[in-house]
Amino acid sequence: MEEQLAELVAKVAELEAAGGGAKVTNTMFAETFYYLTIPLMIIIHAGFLAYEMGASRMKNVLSSGVKNILAFAFMIPTFYFFGWWVYWGFPTGIPGAPGPAGISGIEYANAIAWGWGESAQYMGPNVADQASGVFFGAFALFAATTASIMSGAVIERIQTVGFVILAIVLGSFAWVVAAAWGWHADGWLVTQWGVHDFGAAGLVHAVAGFFALGVLINLGPRIGKFNADGTANDIAGHNMPMTVVGLMLIIVGFWGFLMACVIVPGEAWSWFADKPSTIYGTPITLSALAFNILMAVAGGIIGAWIITKDPFWMMSGALAGIISTASGLDIYYPALTFIIAFSAGLILKSCANWLEKRGIDDAVGAVTVHGTIGLYGVVMLGVFASGFPALQGAAGEVPTISLVGQIVGAVVFFLLGFVPGYVVSLVLKGMGMLRVPEGAELAGMDTVKVPAQGYPEGIPTSPAPAE
Amino acid sequence: MGFPYDEASWSVVDGAMFMGWGSAAPGFYTLIAAVICAAVLVVGNASEKKKAKRFDK
Repeated sequence: MEEQLAELVAKVAELEAAGGGAKVTNTMFAETFYYLTIPLMIIIHAGFLAYEMGASRMKNVLSSGVKNILAFAFMIPTFYFFGWWVYWGFPTGIPGAPGPAGISGIEYANAIAWGWGESAQYMGPNVADQASGVFFGAFALFAATTASIMSGAVIERIQTVGFVILAIVLGSFAWVVAAAWGWHADGWLVTQWGVHDFGAAGLVHAVAGFFALGVLINLGPRIGKFNADGTANDIAGHNMPMTVVGLMLIIVGFWGFLMACVIVPGEAWSWFADKPSTIYGTPITLSALAFNILMAVAGGIIGAWIITKDPFWMMSGALAGIISTASGLDIYYPALTFIIAFSAGLILKSCANWLEKRGIDDAVGAVTVHGTIGLYGVVMLGVFASGFPALQGAAGEVPTISLVGQIVGAVVFFLLGFVPGYVVSLVLKGMGMLRVPEGAELAGMDTVKVPAQGYPEGIPTSPAPAE
Repeated sequence: MGFPYDEASWSVVDGAMFMGWGSAAPGFYTLIAAVICAAVLVVGNASEKKKAKRFDK
């Protein structure tokens, strides 16, 4: 009997040790999962950098790069200072009351997301916390993505500091409010309207795209973009191949962006012990993403090719394909994803032309690709997915996706982007901080503000090869 | 395109979870997507031929 008991005790100890090991492994996996999304999302920035610099004329190539790099650099500390706090503080709206899931409200944000006092323990190295830093990192990179989206639209005439201020307002405030409201289990758009935006088509892309539109209205077009009769001229960038490769890099980075939208299982903060979920607690798998992202990229490229035959618009079509389906990448059937993405590729160029005819000089089509197509994607999910649960929970107790709810979400995302973009850029314009003087624009912004040359030897023919 | 289960809750899902599962929709969408691919190739080829023809000697 004693022997059997001893065996049993040994077995229990063995099982406990194995369980502890599995727990450590899962925690390490979860931390690594989000950690790896960060460098993947930095590839988005490498892409935006190449894309913007390629779309600039040679006289502006480095200043476009400087602007983009600075946006990234300022986004990280400002998101640390207050962006992360806004996300946790205001899901239920103003004044920041706690929500039903118990992970929101000013009090909660004060406890975990301030860089001082007791809360600072979650904002720095902590052996007992293997989650806060990687979550913060992933969200900070979402923030930086919004700033990069706006950055391309305004190249070749914006002032550097004015642009950085706009980037901070967009990346560390405007989109964060949209995320708190529509991308959080306690978000009022989710709990009251059933808004579902898994891959952030509205709350990242549309907010950033329409923020850019608000800025463009006050910034005005580049010199030479429009003729006296209102017709538009094409201002070609100096390096289309660089732009196209940049767009492809953005697509690579998107895998990290969308991977970071998945909540892994088995941790205290996970929705489930045994299966991954979306940020709303609804099921998803990485396989779902693999099916749907690939079909979206393909559909967008094909749709844009048949209309434009232009590699810039084809790769923009790839982005549009992902953005138009991002809201429902968790629940779309891949062939349907392809069809929606194809339709986004088809309408892309005509949406950009429509905007241009109204005197808006969006140098890279960011308002259309991210703004218009982002809202198109949010609404399309309402068309196809009405009746699907928008949040984890029991039947009858959780909101479901609906067309009306998605339209409400689209309107809110539009306003959260456009209004701050327009108002802050108007204030900057009034202070003389928005646009460079005409002479500087004509001379080229590299000559005016960058102490380096993009192509000091020009682009000469290669010397003869050795025999 | 409704939720593929009687109860509108994710707790009952243990398999396919995409919209249209359990109906003819997936097959229909696949057919449409395939038709789009074929049609795009036909139209694209016609367009390219037309453009190239202008350079015929």
